[in-house]
Amino acid sequence: MSETPEKVQPETIPNTTETQPKPTEELRFSAQSNTEPFEIAVLALQNLTLFPETVVPLGVGRPRSIAAVESALATQEKLLGCITVRSTNSDEADAAPADLYGVGTLVMIKRMERAGEAMRIVVQGTERVRVKEWKQTDPHLRAVVQILPEPRIVDAEQVEAAKRNLQQMIQEALALLPNVPPEVRIAVLGSVDAVRLAYFLGSILNLGVEEEQKMLEADTADELLRLAHANLARELEILQLRSKIASEAQTEMDKAQRDYVLRQQMRAIQKELGEDEGGEAAEAELLRERLEKADLPDEVRTEADRELKRMQRLPAAAPDYHVIRTYLEYVLELPWRKASEDKLDLAEARKILDEDHYGLEDVKERILEFLAVIKLRPDTKSPIILFVGPPGVGKTSLGRSIARALGRQFERMSLGGVRDEAELRGHRRTYIGALPGRIVQSIRRAGVNNPVLMLDEIDKLGNDYRGDPSAALLEILDPQQNNSFRDHYLDLPFDLSRVFFIATANQLGPIPAPLRDRMEIIGLAGYSDREKLEIARRYLIPRQTSENGLTGGQLQISDEAVELIAARYTREAGVRQLERTIGSIARKVALAIAQAQSESVKVEASDIREYLGPPRFYPEQARKELPAGVATGMAWTEMGGEVLFIEATLLPGGRGLTITGQLGEVMQESARAAQSYLWSHAAEFGIDPIFFKEFGVHLHVPAGAIPKDGPSAGVTITSALASLYTGRRVRSDTAMTGEITLSGLVFPIGGVKEKVLAAHRAGIRRILLPQRNEADTDDIPEDVRKDLQIIFVSRISEVLDAALEVLVANPPPAPLITDSSQGSRRTEPESIAVKPA
Amino acid sequence: MRKLDFEVSLVRPDRRVKPSGRLWNPSADVYKSDDGWLVKVDLAGICSDDLEIEIHGANLTLRGCRRDTHYREGYIYHQMEITYSRFEKTIEFPSPIEGASVARDYTDGFLIVHISTQ
Repeated sequence: MSETPEKVQPETIPNTTETQPKPTEELRFSAQSNTEPFEIAVLALQNLTLFPETVVPLGVGRPRSIAAVESALATQEKLLGCITVRSTNSDEADAAPADLYGVGTLVMIKRMERAGEAMRIVVQGTERVRVKEWKQTDPHLRAVVQILPEPRIVDAEQVEAAKRNLQQMIQEALALLPNVPPEVRIAVLGSVDAVRLAYFLGSILNLGVEEEQKMLEADTADELLRLAHANLARELEILQLRSKIASEAQTEMDKAQRDYVLRQQMRAIQKELGEDEGGEAAEAELLRERLEKADLPDEVRTEADRELKRMQRLPAAAPDYHVIRTYLEYVLELPWRKASEDKLDLAEARKILDEDHYGLEDVKERILEFLAVIKLRPDTKSPIILFVGPPGVGKTSLGRSIARALGRQFERMSLGGVRDEAELRGHRRTYIGALPGRIVQSIRRAGVNNPVLMLDEIDKLGNDYRGDPSAALLEILDPQQNNSFRDHYLDLPFDLSRVFFIATANQLGPIPAPLRDRMEIIGLAGYSDREKLEIARRYLIPRQTSENGLTGGQLQISDEAVELIAARYTREAGVRQLERTIGSIARKVALAIAQAQSESVKVEASDIREYLGPPRFYPEQARKELPAGVATGMAWTEMGGEVLFIEATLLPGGRGLTITGQLGEVMQESARAAQSYLWSHAAEFGIDPIFFKEFGVHLHVPAGAIPKDGPSAGVTITSALASLYTGRRVRSDTAMTGEITLSGLVFPIGGVKEKVLAAHRAGIRRILLPQRNEADTDDIPEDVRKDLQIIFVSRISEVLDAALEVLVANPPPAPLITDSSQGSRRTEPESIAVKPA
Repeated sequence: MRKLDFEVSLVRPDRRVKPSGRLWNPSADVYKSDDGWLVKVDLAGICSDDLEIEIHGANLTLRGCRRDTHYREGYIYHQMEITYSRFEKTIEFPSPIEGASVARDYTDGFLIVHISTQ
């Protein structure tokens, strides 16, 4: 080409020129065309390496740098050498040529603008240059440089593989860098030139001058890509780690922030709605704080937290709000893990039991045994004890004493009349007004999870179509199951295994067998008169004295007076009425003393009538003389023992056996068995069989208004009938009890102590008991025992031998047809011969 | 909310680097004309000595160097927005243009390249 610049005008070159590629010409402008060294202004770069094929904005501030740029701008091509200062140099001083690397980048300045003293330039890297010789340092650096060839490819396949690998990694990195401008993404991902990609990575990654310089100086594409790959891999790893940490922190913060904002909004909305500001939010907050502080098992805490969250979503006006609140308060108040410490001093326990209760030796012994076991094995499951005995014998107060001896909380719940399982186990929360069952309520009252829990009147549990509460008790009282007792209301497992259950009952009969089976049964019999006297002296009189505001000296009651009260003014196995009656005497005395009528009062037996009026009870006394056909029996009642009389009379011309006196089925059957036995053994006992054919018998047991049942009257009925048929009277000083069989055996019965005591009270001094009840007589207090003659029998014949007088008092009526040849042992009836009509 | 701008530590904040070619490239329009192609390049201030045109297959490559000829000794640059120095522009056509006759001229500061394929 020979045209001059002037000719390059639109008008001056209208001619079309055939342009053929000319190799020599072409080299002038293409890359790496100039391999000859040339002199150029040099800009020293701090902490930065420029790579070819990148466009970078730079701020230029130092006078020497500005001078270098100015110098470059003064040339026609605006070229500048950019060489990095070694990192060991400080930023402050102007770098000497020795401080600069030997390889830099040739750039073209594309733009320049001034900003006060400084200037901003945009440069584009074109080629790498090597410094041949430094020409000057002031006013700016100047050097002779030579353009270096582009990194050559040694192994094309390897370079391609490395490039793809890099692109893959760049993809991953970009996914983690949301703020990278889209044009960069496109450029990077679309880049086909491996070297250009590597250079770009070198300039964009924060690698540090040394690493960057290594990349810049790489003479082969293989080396360059290897470096780029290593650096990017390291950076990617850091990036991933950072991103993970950052996103975790961000999530955490986002959630907290979000919760806070929403809560604020909710509060604002509630305020707008006129709902009590602070009220429910504060309430929920309070509950949350309490929940955090409370010592709850994990399962309970999870559930409570869930409910609290539900509650916070509800307005205070919603019915569920209060349901949940009550529930949470319940959960908080329950002693999930709180237990009291047992004090296990056996001597102390013994002392406490003796202080509170007179007698009951064997019961105390059993209780001490339990305590000893707990002492030796603290993790043992608490026993479940059942006290059976008549009212007022001290079952409940024994429970209290046990609690005191153990140092545990005492809680009592009466099961009398409970007939709905839900009362024990609670109602599910879906029901309005639902509450936990009584068990959980008691535990809450106790405030610890190991109280002594008394289930009073367990024999009075009702059951009907609404459910059977005793079935619920089966679970509660089973040591294998009750460590995760689930109340319907709470719907959370509560550990009842550390609760010391004590049940009380008046009778064993009504308690379902499976329930009875779970409990250690301890029987408490009634007290004898002597024991009552002792109890009155030691406990009742001092207690009533102080309860009525008197001092020990002001009221004295003589032993005879106490005995009289016990016998004539009360009828019980326990001492409750006795105490009440003593209380009424104490009140009358208190009145007298308050009115200053007297200083102190000593109550004698003779004064009792004055205080209490006429005697209220006339206990069945042994009848002086019994007519034939009447026998004295003994019965057991909840009040203790009773003496009763069985009366039989012949009905001439009648038929069968008429039974009256509210007798139960068992008793009626034993009457029939007695008659059948005598009939079948008529000859043996000298009874004329005609009586069984021609006469009816009426059997009556007073008092007629009181229902009676049980097999233990068997021997008494037999004696009465035998007496009736033979005319031999039953001895009036003898009372008897025992079940009979049709083959003539006598079987053992229960309630021996109460029966014997009652007989003794009634003045009986001779008692027939089944042989197999002999062991039970150990329970009989010695002072009673010594007054009595106890005869043990095992066959009916022995009973009749012992019970019937030999002499005939009231001979039975003569049969219609008397056949004396039948040879009865019976004395001939002579005086009376009543003929039936 | 505080932003966790972890990107800055990886991609240097002081460098808004963009990848580029080795040389700058001027903008160009391409027309399909009756007898071939007309290429209009935004390329003022080029002397014809500094311009090369090369045809290879379907590619037209313009190469050259724009020099700042208005600078005089003693001038001080206040602002520079025109890119000088070497440039390279390759235009790819849908069909080969090898063997076509090429003519160029300057009109209103545009470099016009006529490519006649007929």
